[in-house]
Amino acid sequence: MTASSLITPGAHPASVAVLDRIGSIELPTKRNEAWRYAPHAKLAKLSFGPSVSPAPSVPAEVEQQIPVLDGPTIVIVNGVVDSEQSKLDQLPTGLSVSTLAEVAANEPERLDGHFKPTTDDAFAAANIAFGTDGAVMTVGEGVRLDAPIHIVNISIPGETHNAACAGVVIDLGTASSATVVETRIGSGEGVIGGSNTRTTITLAANASLEHIVLQDLPISQIQLSTVGVTQAEGSEFVGRSFNIGASFGRLEYLVDLAADGARVDLSGLFFGRGDQVLDQQITVIHGALDGVSTQSYRGVLDDNSVGVFNGGIDVRPGANGTDAAQSNANLLLSDRAEINTQPRLEILADEVACKHGATVGQLDETALYYMRSRGIPADEARRLLIDAFADQTLEGVGIETIRSWVRERLGHTDG
Amino acid sequence: MLQVENLTASIGGTQILKGLDLSVGTGEVHAIMGPNGSGKSTFAHALAGRDGYEIGGTITLDGQDLLDMEPEARAAAGLFLGFQYPVEIPGVNNMYFLRTALNSVRKTRGEDEIGARDFLAVANKAMELVEMKQDFLHRAVNAGFSGGEKKRNEILQMAIMQPRLAVLDETDSGLDIDALRVIASGVNSLRGPDRSMIVITHYQRLLDYIEPDFVHVLVDGKIVKSGDRTLAMHLEVNGYADFIDEENDAAGRAMSGAKS
Repeated sequence: MTASSLITPGAHPASVAVLDRIGSIELPTKRNEAWRYAPHAKLAKLSFGPSVSPAPSVPAEVEQQIPVLDGPTIVIVNGVVDSEQSKLDQLPTGLSVSTLAEVAANEPERLDGHFKPTTDDAFAAANIAFGTDGAVMTVGEGVRLDAPIHIVNISIPGETHNAACAGVVIDLGTASSATVVETRIGSGEGVIGGSNTRTTITLAANASLEHIVLQDLPISQIQLSTVGVTQAEGSEFVGRSFNIGASFGRLEYLVDLAADGARVDLSGLFFGRGDQVLDQQITVIHGALDGVSTQSYRGVLDDNSVGVFNGGIDVRPGANGTDAAQSNANLLLSDRAEINTQPRLEILADEVACKHGATVGQLDETALYYMRSRGIPADEARRLLIDAFADQTLEGVGIETIRSWVRERLGHTDG
Repeated sequence: MLQVENLTASIGGTQILKGLDLSVGTGEVHAIMGPNGSGKSTFAHALAGRDGYEIGGTITLDGQDLLDMEPEARAAAGLFLGFQYPVEIPGVNNMYFLRTALNSVRKTRGEDEIGARDFLAVANKAMELVEMKQDFLHRAVNAGFSGGEKKRNEILQMAIMQPRLAVLDETDSGLDIDALRVIASGVNSLRGPDRSMIVITHYQRLLDYIEPDFVHVLVDGKIVKSGDRTLAMHLEVNGYADFIDEENDAAGRAMSGAKS
């Protein structure tokens, strides 16, 4: 297949350019720290290509998994926006939403930042080449949106290519605020497939965004996701992730506190069973004065599952007044489950407060006995303790629909 | 109601209970007193079914063999253990915990589960017994509770579970006199002709408030003396020294007997 046959009409120039060299970019290996625990053999089976339009229709059982939120909804199926499923009528004043394909064709310069790779791995390149559709949204200066904007990314492995790419671009104007929820689900039990999502977020001064990722793809699939955030002065980014499904669920955050007084609060839960590998790769760059960052992740790992928390705090020279904290608490439910937790701290400024800590534990046997002595059966007592551990990651989530969506997926009892 | 015969318990190769016999009739309150390390708590946990002990002998409750049962089945059979050190369970709401416990037991017994509203009425009544405020129910189980609050929470659970046999393990430890009064009055109000209790304590003090029908002295894994309340008073004056010496003498005689 020649490169030209892969070009999507109207694609951004960067998408076209990367096609010339995409064949020569090698897949990451175990030697790449950021991909060390990835299932490389499975990754090699992913075949990315241009999105096929129209995308297949969404099976009812997948549709039923979509959390119902009040607000605008953009549905992306195999990398292509499904305008019939999307709900974009009656957008609130100050919010504009377009498809990425439209913007790439008409105002490509708006996407220059999105298509500039921060890492040169094959999957980033694949997304630049083939992630030619998706959602682009802009929140106007001073606009405060109440209802969450919902991006539903559905993956139904196709025949020609089993993996699709999509892009999400979010720009918040000065002193605006919004909530964006990205739900990643799909179908195709037993069929290897994957999805590769790239989210680029820019926050102007004093803007505030809450961004929630809900990942519950079928166990046959791979989910690769990169969220890049650039923050101006006084802005605030709250990123929450619930990494639950997929055989390999990889979530990468690269947050750049590029101006003074920016704050970022990242937290999440990864909950693995079977042979799942759930991987969080976090880097926060403190590039200016008085930045505040927190990373707080919890892992629950059962069976043979593997969790990865690779958390970076990168304090650049002169970024005085930095206050950075990182924590990763893990609950191992099986002797065979594995957690790999690693802080990466690079501190090149003087007046800096930085702390990090990780814990790995098992269910508290004394608490189990105490509950059982009160008549609660062993299985239910275990369930209660696991839920209690996982629930702490839901505390900051204000949307009840999302809390119950996550709880349901953890096999939660009525709480 | 409860029959304990020749109960032995070892942990990690160390024998702690060495042939304990005890019979508790319906409606009776028995006190078990003993010095530190005599096996009081081990006895309590052997009754409740804690893992990790090597157990011998028999325990029957209302004719059922307890030793074959999991802790949750023992609770459903009507056993309740008030812990010396109640366990903190962060993230589990106290009310939800109590309702789950009660409904688990009811389910095992083939009874209907209790809904949230009816349960609240049950809980409110129980809370009055131990002078607890409503906010107790909305906190995580024992998490951040003071020593006295934890012990009151144990008695609250007992009031909700309405056990056939309540075993209270050093419920008085770490309590000031006011908290002790509240707890004792809660316990006393739960006494009844169909409910038996075993009150385990190191000190006689608790027995001024909860008057036992029988007192047993546990030394080195065995009951060495049984009597009525006056036995507790004797211990208050003389301590455990009499019994410990007797034990040592008896052990000494056994040793010399073996040698000859």
